[in-house]
Amino acid sequence: MSSTLLPRLPLATLAIAALGCFAVHASAGTVSRLTPPSELFSSGNAEPVIARFLPGQLFDLQATVQPDAGQAITNFSFFIDGAPVTSRADPKIFARTSIVTETGPAATCIDPVTGKTTGKSGCVLVAGLPANTAVISHRGFSLGVPGVRKLEVSALQSDGKLIHATGNFEIVGVDKSSGKVAKNIIIFLGDGMGAAHRTAARIMARGYAQGKAKGLLTMDTFPDTGMVMTASLNSIVTDSAPGMQNYVTGNKANNNQEGVFPDDTLDAFDNPRVEYLSEYLHALQGKSLGVVTTADVFDATPASMAIHTSARGNGTGIVDQFLDDRQLTGLSVLMGGGRKWFLPNVSNSVSPQPANGSQRRAANDYVLPDDVVAGWGAAKGALDPARDLIGDFQSAGFAYAPDKTTLDKAFQSRVPDRLLGLFAYSNMNVAYDKIAGRRGHGAVVDAFGFPDQPMLDEMTDKALQVLAKDGRGFVAMIEGASIDKQAHLMDSDRWPLEVIEFDRAIAVGKAFAEKHPDTLIIVTADHECSGAAIIGASTATAAALQVNPAAGASVVGTYDAAKFPKYAIADDGYPVTTNIDHKMLIGYGANADRYETWLSSAFPTKDSQQPFPPGDSPADPGVRNKDIGFLISGQVPGDQAVHTATDVPLSAYGRGSRLFHGVFDNTDVFFKVGQAAVGGVE
Amino acid sequence: MVRFAKLFICACAIAALATSAAMAHQTSVPRRNAETIRVPAILAVSMQLGAPPAGVVDLKFQDLFKLPVGPKGLETTDKLRNLDGKRVRIVGYMVRQEAPSAGSFMLSPLPVSAGDEDESLADDIPASAVFVSLPNGKDVIVPALPGLVRIVGTLHLGAIEVPGIDRLAAVRIALDAAPERALLRVARAAARQPTGAR
Repeated sequence: MSSTLLPRLPLATLAIAALGCFAVHASAGTVSRLTPPSELFSSGNAEPVIARFLPGQLFDLQATVQPDAGQAITNFSFFIDGAPVTSRADPKIFARTSIVTETGPAATCIDPVTGKTTGKSGCVLVAGLPANTAVISHRGFSLGVPGVRKLEVSALQSDGKLIHATGNFEIVGVDKSSGKVAKNIIIFLGDGMGAAHRTAARIMARGYAQGKAKGLLTMDTFPDTGMVMTASLNSIVTDSAPGMQNYVTGNKANNNQEGVFPDDTLDAFDNPRVEYLSEYLHALQGKSLGVVTTADVFDATPASMAIHTSARGNGTGIVDQFLDDRQLTGLSVLMGGGRKWFLPNVSNSVSPQPANGSQRRAANDYVLPDDVVAGWGAAKGALDPARDLIGDFQSAGFAYAPDKTTLDKAFQSRVPDRLLGLFAYSNMNVAYDKIAGRRGHGAVVDAFGFPDQPMLDEMTDKALQVLAKDGRGFVAMIEGASIDKQAHLMDSDRWPLEVIEFDRAIAVGKAFAEKHPDTLIIVTADHECSGAAIIGASTATAAALQVNPAAGASVVGTYDAAKFPKYAIADDGYPVTTNIDHKMLIGYGANADRYETWLSSAFPTKDSQQPFPPGDSPADPGVRNKDIGFLISGQVPGDQAVHTATDVPLSAYGRGSRLFHGVFDNTDVFFKVGQAAVGGVE
Repeated sequence: MVRFAKLFICACAIAALATSAAMAHQTSVPRRNAETIRVPAILAVSMQLGAPPAGVVDLKFQDLFKLPVGPKGLETTDKLRNLDGKRVRIVGYMVRQEAPSAGSFMLSPLPVSAGDEDESLADDIPASAVFVSLPNGKDVIVPALPGLVRIVGTLHLGAIEVPGIDRLAAVRIALDAAPERALLRVARAAARQPTGAR
């Protein structure tokens, strides 16, 4: 047990507290939040246990305490099963604790009428708390002994009264007598990929004959499959941040949050942390981390492998932490889009100056509190928008590839030890448009300014070569990011190709695992997106749809009329065209308004963050094909389809794959991987 | 030659954007109450834009940065650098900001919003979007006008943080007095409306 000493806590009080005599000192003050979260604290029910950890996995203890009026919190202690989390042995531990109160300007931060916090810019605490509220923390805690543990907090008011609360958490044991461990862990994360997305890609890429698939996707060939419940800490419908981080922390996060539990401070980088799989296995076994995505690398899924923040949009701080905390995560490979976050911003200097497209800003950068630095050994951080992050990566030994040609050259003489690939300004172009570019139709990729982007399977191959150099093994996350993004846009021609691209990357991973049998591969999604469903196939030819793009429901062939759509596949592995006669048709259960023609769009929708968005790109599905298509009214607000709470499939291959059967929670995946990587499997 | 051909296609696409009011049908910006706001004639875009006023150079969004993008970031074009400190005319969409900032707005080659709570966060604004300031209207919140607008002002090259948006803009344009007056009139009219039009 790591522990702390509360240096100013009166010994008598500490002794009483340690004996559990809190009732003697009970007061009207309350604990409004106790972290890790538990039902025991929230509802009084001991089950289900919400927070679970592997033995030795770090996490923070924190409580929000609202003392009596006129009082302040002067000291505190946490207790595990009645034993105080204290130590007189290691004075360095002192720095792991903190008491955070509203220290911003009272005129701004305290409402004079209600006496409560305002949560305004420049303040410390969120809105609606009593002005004397304190957020008390013990950072970097861990336990080694399995079992459900009672967590108590006792906070001392300035008048000597104690405020007390109780919760629980569980340390999940690892069976170390099970056999061989999985040295390499590869997580293929198809963002938003539900069962329908997989089926659609299979129909398109492999085809069916008399009711049987003529071939399987690589992910279909994996021997073990289960279904995953994807809820986040605060909703049945998750976004991509908890959707990913729940897999690799074993704990639930709120939507928009990654690697942290929620708190009551405004600072997005001071939330109570929970250790990632990458950090845990790097500390325990020296494993490396690889993060590969087709999205901007600051995006929620890649960041949720290594970054601790409650605001997934804080791009500058997120990309900085990737590099700054590489000694904690073992980061060796980072590839995707998002170059804009890595370029120095010398904002507001006198013209002329470099206008390089940097989007680095101090407002979304990070500086960590001292207790987090002390508790986690994390880099302090700095508000440094002028930082040349590409240069810093290169100084840290990373080979830098801005395009596919450079990526290939980086491997010509030897496999680099570390690799940074930033192939687009923000999100990379999608497979539909990248493949079109390779086939000589580069209107989209050229217009976006990045005509030479690698495919995900090519990135995966390079990443695995780098990661395999270190004999201690690795954790890799390979993301097919735009399955989700194109499903949001209900682009039924683009997201199936994203799944095909993703599956080709999985094939690279499977080939690696065949050569390295101590590898575990998981293929899954963070959530389903759009409520996609294969509703049938067109009864019309492509030419007929061109003539009558507003045909709508009249050409939807259901049941027998759907038959078996037949797509021709080119040598590059992708459909020659998606506009075939009698094409597969997709409906959406979580849809916004859209105008449907059942035909592909020449330009991607709403990819406007790129430097040169083509003027032909529709703003959203509600205006795409507006003058020619068939209006399908949506059921959700906004202009995009949304995530759903539907379970998603998970398929596993390699050492430990047999652990992934049945229906389980997304946090269960972490403990299954932990068993395979630390305890081993038969 | 291939690259020039592709560039030509791109240029045509954006030129079409700059000259065709018909493109406005694709915008999501005017969905709320912006349709009720009349675009002043001095800002309106007709099918024929006509020659720019004397001493003013037409600038298109694709004129800002070189293609393809370089390994270390965007690189400004010679044309843009030569226009630093000079008067330009540019056609684009006013970015609709959930939290509008006083005295300025962004002009984008596509109709986009800033601050949407969706998957793309505040990331929808193209890097080529420019920051437009109202030198005499620093406290005035200008409502987003629907469709394409043309603005004329003095260009200043150099990254600047855009107030109210988590963005940097590479170019700032200080509005000429005439279009600024028109926008201030729109702002005053919008402020007088009881609800919605802002």
